[in-house]
Amino acid sequence: MIIRDYMKRNVHSISEHATIREAAAKLVEYHIGLLPVVDQASKLIGVVGLRDLLTLELPDFFELLPELDFVHDFGAVETTRPGIEQLNQPVVRLMHPATFVRETDGLLKGYALMLKHQLHDLPVVGESGKLVGIASRVDIGTAILATWKYIGSESP
Amino acid sequence: MNGILASIIFLISLWLIFSEKLNRTITSMIGAALMTGVGLILGFFNEEEALRSIDFNTLGLLMGMMILVAMLEPTGFFEFLAVWAGRISRGHPVRLLIMLGTITTIFSMFLDNVTTVVLIAPVTILICEILGINPVPYLMAEALLSDTGGVATLVGDPPNVLIASAAGFSFNDFLTHSLPVVLVAWLTALGLLRFLFRKELSIKPPNMEAVLKLEPAEALDDWKTARRVLIVLGLAILTFFMEEWLGISPAFVALSAASIAMVWTRPNIQETLKRIDWSVLVFFGALFVMVGGLEAAGVLNMFVDGLKKLNTIPPVLLGVIMIWLVASLSAFVDNVPITIALIPVLQGLGASGMNTDPLWWALVFGAGFGGNATIIGSTANIVVASLSERTRTPITSALWNKRGLPVMLATCTVASILYAVFYPFFA
Repeated sequence: MIIRDYMKRNVHSISEHATIREAAAKLVEYHIGLLPVVDQASKLIGVVGLRDLLTLELPDFFELLPELDFVHDFGAVETTRPGIEQLNQPVVRLMHPATFVRETDGLLKGYALMLKHQLHDLPVVGESGKLVGIASRVDIGTAILATWKYIGSESP
Repeated sequence: MNGILASIIFLISLWLIFSEKLNRTITSMIGAALMTGVGLILGFFNEEEALRSIDFNTLGLLMGMMILVAMLEPTGFFEFLAVWAGRISRGHPVRLLIMLGTITTIFSMFLDNVTTVVLIAPVTILICEILGINPVPYLMAEALLSDTGGVATLVGDPPNVLIASAAGFSFNDFLTHSLPVVLVAWLTALGLLRFLFRKELSIKPPNMEAVLKLEPAEALDDWKTARRVLIVLGLAILTFFMEEWLGISPAFVALSAASIAMVWTRPNIQETLKRIDWSVLVFFGALFVMVGGLEAAGVLNMFVDGLKKLNTIPPVLLGVIMIWLVASLSAFVDNVPITIALIPVLQGLGASGMNTDPLWWALVFGAGFGGNATIIGSTANIVVASLSERTRTPITSALWNKRGLPVMLATCTVASILYAVFYPFFA
């Protein structure tokens, strides 16, 4: 029951030299929430997700006010878009350190890590720190649940 | 010898506070300990005198008002006010500036203006963002106008509390002497801000309807508590007016009000007391001990002979010089230590037989209006600037010098003119 057997090998990643605009385009194209950022040797150096990119859209008051229920119309904020200079900045500006697992790690360890850090996707690295795949919460969770059907039946 | 040692302790402490080499509360505590210790050894000051030199009237008044604000803070009342101001303005920039500036001023005249600004500024940023306009003029106006307005009342600003206690001014003395000057200065400041920000204020917000969909009532989380605290606060202010007639101190009024409000609203006492700025109270108390030591060492008497020469300067000119000197100092350092440093000087002058009332008022105006000049001049300025740093349009020190400094110069000029013209009234 190791991660390698249940992860997706076809992982979409982005180069550390890419721009924020390129990262956004990739997330849209593949309809995914997380992009591992890799260097030339495809070593994992960090991740950038929907959440990180969307901070560029969030209004300043979002962080400053504890609650927003009294705001029924976001008005001008709804139509403000990031500036062109912001989109052309390197993606590493919004990147943060990755929580990852090794391909030989157990499934439950992977699941626990995701739960602890409230993640939906977990990059998987090989021996040399190279990105080899990505596992979602559903990939890992269903893989664990699948073993339950053997419980109570004769063990192999 | 006693005087020299006491002066050295006091001056080193002041230097540490002004240069911010050591936190001001820590400095004042070690200063008070040293003053009392040296006084004990040399026999000019003892523990009993140290305790007696603490002005519990000042501390009690500050603490009582702080508890009231601490109870009002979590109710969402300030947010409600700001949201309401936004709605009433219907998104017109000038109207919004006047509404937010006035509300912040009125509440900071009676409550701690830092708390007021801390709670109103984030909502201001929200209103500006949904309108699609730059929040900087509104944030700066809130800080500048609330600092200016705070000068009007005894409870509006900590230096006023200190001065009232040292000079024996009552709540009504402030209403008759300071309020009229502040009214003119405040309107001047508002007019000047309208002019300085004319470019920003002339832009029609792209999304004016959005503010009409704000729901003030939904920002108010606990109307029951807010109403009760406000009622008690209103009664306390009424009692301040009658303070002389009733023969009671403002500290007694504030602490009683705080107690009544707590009995009525039953807040979580731990949480409420946590929101009180204890460091300010400790700082004040320790500074009083230091000044008491200075007095006991006879330093003030040493001053008096030198200060007598000031009698040759025309008193009106002396007062105006005082306004500008204190204002220039307050532009760069906190006005509380300045006030505390000047209290013994003015008391020394008083001991020399001079009528110091006009100088006390000059100190009130200088300490109050001077802080507007720079981004670090007052706590409200620092708070607004640091909030704006978390937005896309941070307020820079250079911008403050261009917009805040003229306000400081204008309010000090207004104060000087009124002071000179109506000098006999201040004497």
